[in-house]
Amino acid sequence: MKTIIRKELLDHLRSVQFAVLLTAAVVLFAANGFVFVQQYGRLNADYRKAVAENDRRPSTTMTWLYREPSPLLFLAEGGEKASPQGYRLSPKLTLSSLPARPANFKMPAIPELDWAFIIKIVFSLYVILLGFEAVSGEKERGTLRLVLSNPVGRVRLLAGKSLAILSSAAIPLLAGFVISLIVVGIFLPAVLSLATLARVAFLAALALAYLSLFTFLSLLVSSLIPRSSLALLVLLAFWILFAFFIPDTSGIIAEKFSTVPSEYEMAKQLGPTIQAEVWKRIAAIQDRIKSGEIKTEQAILDEADRAYEEGQDSVRKLYDDYDNVMRERAGLAQSISRASPAALFQYAAESASDTGPKAEARFLRDVRNYSRVYDDYILKKVGEVVGTSPWSFSSGAELDGKYINLESPSPEEYTGDRSDFPRFSESRSSLVDGLRDGLWDIAGLIVWNILLAGLAFSAFLRTDVR
Amino acid sequence: MLKTIIKREILEYLKSAKFLIGLGVTLALAVGGTVINVQDYRARLRDYQAASQELKSDRFYIRLYRPPEVLSTLIQGRDRKLGNSLTLTYLSIPSGTSGYMGEGRSQHNRLVSGFAAVDFAFIVRVVLSLMVVFIAYNAVSEEKSSGTLKLILSNRVPRDQLLLGKFLGGWFVIMGSLLVSGIVSVILVLSHSFIAFGAGEWTRLGVFLGLSALYLTVFYAVSLFVSVLVNRPSASLMLLLQAWVFLIVIYPNLGVVAAENFYTLPSQEQLAQQKAAAFQPYAAEQKKIQEDFGRAVRSGSGVSRELGVRNVELRSLQADLAYQVDAEYGRKLTAQADLARVISSLSPAVLFDHAAERYGRTGMAGYERFMREVYRYWQQHAERSKLIYADREAYKKAPPIEFRVPVESTDEALAATWLDWLLLAFLSLTFFALGTTVFLKKDVR
Repeated sequence: MKTIIRKELLDHLRSVQFAVLLTAAVVLFAANGFVFVQQYGRLNADYRKAVAENDRRPSTTMTWLYREPSPLLFLAEGGEKASPQGYRLSPKLTLSSLPARPANFKMPAIPELDWAFIIKIVFSLYVILLGFEAVSGEKERGTLRLVLSNPVGRVRLLAGKSLAILSSAAIPLLAGFVISLIVVGIFLPAVLSLATLARVAFLAALALAYLSLFTFLSLLVSSLIPRSSLALLVLLAFWILFAFFIPDTSGIIAEKFSTVPSEYEMAKQLGPTIQAEVWKRIAAIQDRIKSGEIKTEQAILDEADRAYEEGQDSVRKLYDDYDNVMRERAGLAQSISRASPAALFQYAAESASDTGPKAEARFLRDVRNYSRVYDDYILKKVGEVVGTSPWSFSSGAELDGKYINLESPSPEEYTGDRSDFPRFSESRSSLVDGLRDGLWDIAGLIVWNILLAGLAFSAFLRTDVR
Repeated sequence: MLKTIIKREILEYLKSAKFLIGLGVTLALAVGGTVINVQDYRARLRDYQAASQELKSDRFYIRLYRPPEVLSTLIQGRDRKLGNSLTLTYLSIPSGTSGYMGEGRSQHNRLVSGFAAVDFAFIVRVVLSLMVVFIAYNAVSEEKSSGTLKLILSNRVPRDQLLLGKFLGGWFVIMGSLLVSGIVSVILVLSHSFIAFGAGEWTRLGVFLGLSALYLTVFYAVSLFVSVLVNRPSASLMLLLQAWVFLIVIYPNLGVVAAENFYTLPSQEQLAQQKAAAFQPYAAEQKKIQEDFGRAVRSGSGVSRELGVRNVELRSLQADLAYQVDAEYGRKLTAQADLARVISSLSPAVLFDHAAERYGRTGMAGYERFMREVYRYWQQHAERSKLIYADREAYKKAPPIEFRVPVESTDEALAATWLDWLLLAFLSLTFFALGTTVFLKKDVR
């Protein structure tokens, strides 16, 4: 067994593929490190400045809650750059998301060069390149017969081959990890904590699981298809299917099959339905003044306040519904893309590095929890909690020839002592949380491994070696 | 003689399993991708039409919509990712489009990010280029390693003719595959009753197919060159696949990273400062007018004509000045993106993408054009809004200003992409010439 692995490994290490993979790994991981160092520095400086700014002006009308940039963005960015930097919170849980840091949307859409991407796309391809000839190539050259004429079991031979392929990929991977970490460590020593290293180890384990399933896939196809060039062609078709086709079409498929309304349908309710509702009630107030049902100015103002307040509630609810709808659809897109092991690996890597939609959802939970504290504080200081919405309404009415301005109520600023203003803090997820979040994806990777390993071994055992 | 060689080559390819598998995979992906994209286009079109009908402008809030592009079913470009609606008032001009929920609310972009398109352009860029590599990697090296090259050349076949024959034979096969997958995709698109192509679409589609042919020719020339250069077929395949990954996945990515570092953009804070500074000379006057205005509204006494007109003037001036700052920022974004493209312009994939988006009208150029039209529209709208206080009757009677979605003509698109064609042609010729030179001097034993 040892001899097989050694022989195979030496073969791989001497090959052109290996040299290129090593070079590619060094270049890509070094680039990843440098890009991250720059970006994180900027993100972190912006974050600290924004938080300090907010702390300087505690307010009972609105407050800004920022999300701390993750120090693990270089592992798996997970769409973080396009997700909100935080939220502007007004009383009664009125949230406006603070737009993501403006990226150049005119740039060609290219994937983020993080560890997950390099492993998912580049390394999986190289595993195929290392493995497609493993059986069919030897058969073509006639060496397979010779090898098997020695007292070597087929199972052992294939196990040896798969281990050799995996280690040939693992060596450049490890080199890449080290280089990236060195770059990050030199410029941002604070990032390289023990916790970070534990997560790196977690990601490394995931990477091995992911690459080993490609190893088994290569061996399976290589055993089934006797001509190595055809085996490679079939493997590349799988690679395109897994790495591009399934993940890239899942978004559209999710939109097609989700039962939730489209963005336009949500927007349609916002304008004509809800806005018209408010104006109808304001018009009704004017009618009731005419008919003498409402007599005092205070009564008019109270009625208008109520109409506005309920209008605002509807707007807030609609925005909430919209956010939920979009999240639901994104979740569906993710579930569909899980048909591809590349997507399973991506989501597991996001769990390992505490980025992506799950981390964002956790931040939103924190914001919602804080909102209760914030409202309590306002109630204590101001005496009442008045909600707002991104929309304000304003109109007028006439009572006995006097013009009364009807504006939607807005929260009041407390001008007294605000030193006890509640501070917002984000909850952090531990490595165990990450494992739990990624449990299904990890299980999926393991299932793929078992399935493909079983198929590869049974195909190889049946293969005609002549 | 040449004809015989070409015929033999074509027959060889058509009989080979790798060609059949490659074509099968290409067709399967093309069909799957196109069906999905057509469904998506239908949904976007339905929303666009409904929005134009139901979420209309009033006199204050002007809603403008960007229609989905019909060729996005084949060349999706950024048609999905860029927003499709915007709202403007005389107080504000948005610097870009967003989803229907409006700026700052819509998450349309967030949820499609990371999901690139699998459209016909993807099939050409990724799948067919890979197939080209597979067809050509052993064109010469296989014949050499199996010894048939010697035999052929022992006949009276000049080497240049043999290579040209091989080149053309394989080339026809590739063009055939491109044409077949293209025709299948187009038929799939056109089999839907809500889609019809005009003359412009057919022309641009034709130009796009020409571009695809040239793009695949680059990969073909490179593959042939490597096949001549490297004697072992498996080694030439490895080399080519690695070149392929580099050109399509890695190099464009590094170009963007480099451009982001070489060309820094002003921060949002700086932009806000610039906007404030631009309006500074009018700030005091506006503050006073706002106070007078507010007082007049609250007291119910009504806003005087002068006060009202000046208020609109100042508010729209402020919006205009802010827009100019945004527009300047937009030009910088374009410059940065152009730099990224220039850095990676030796990647055929980057050249191909740029030109393809242009022909599909799904790239940045069409979007910029749309936004320029939005600005012109806003200017008219701001001018008209002064009538609210100057002449209320005339304001009420004024007909709505018509918004025309601007389109780029095929000629303009071609004029903007000649360099891409030239570079692609240059790459093809260079590698073909290199291949020929090496082949003429090659030891065929």
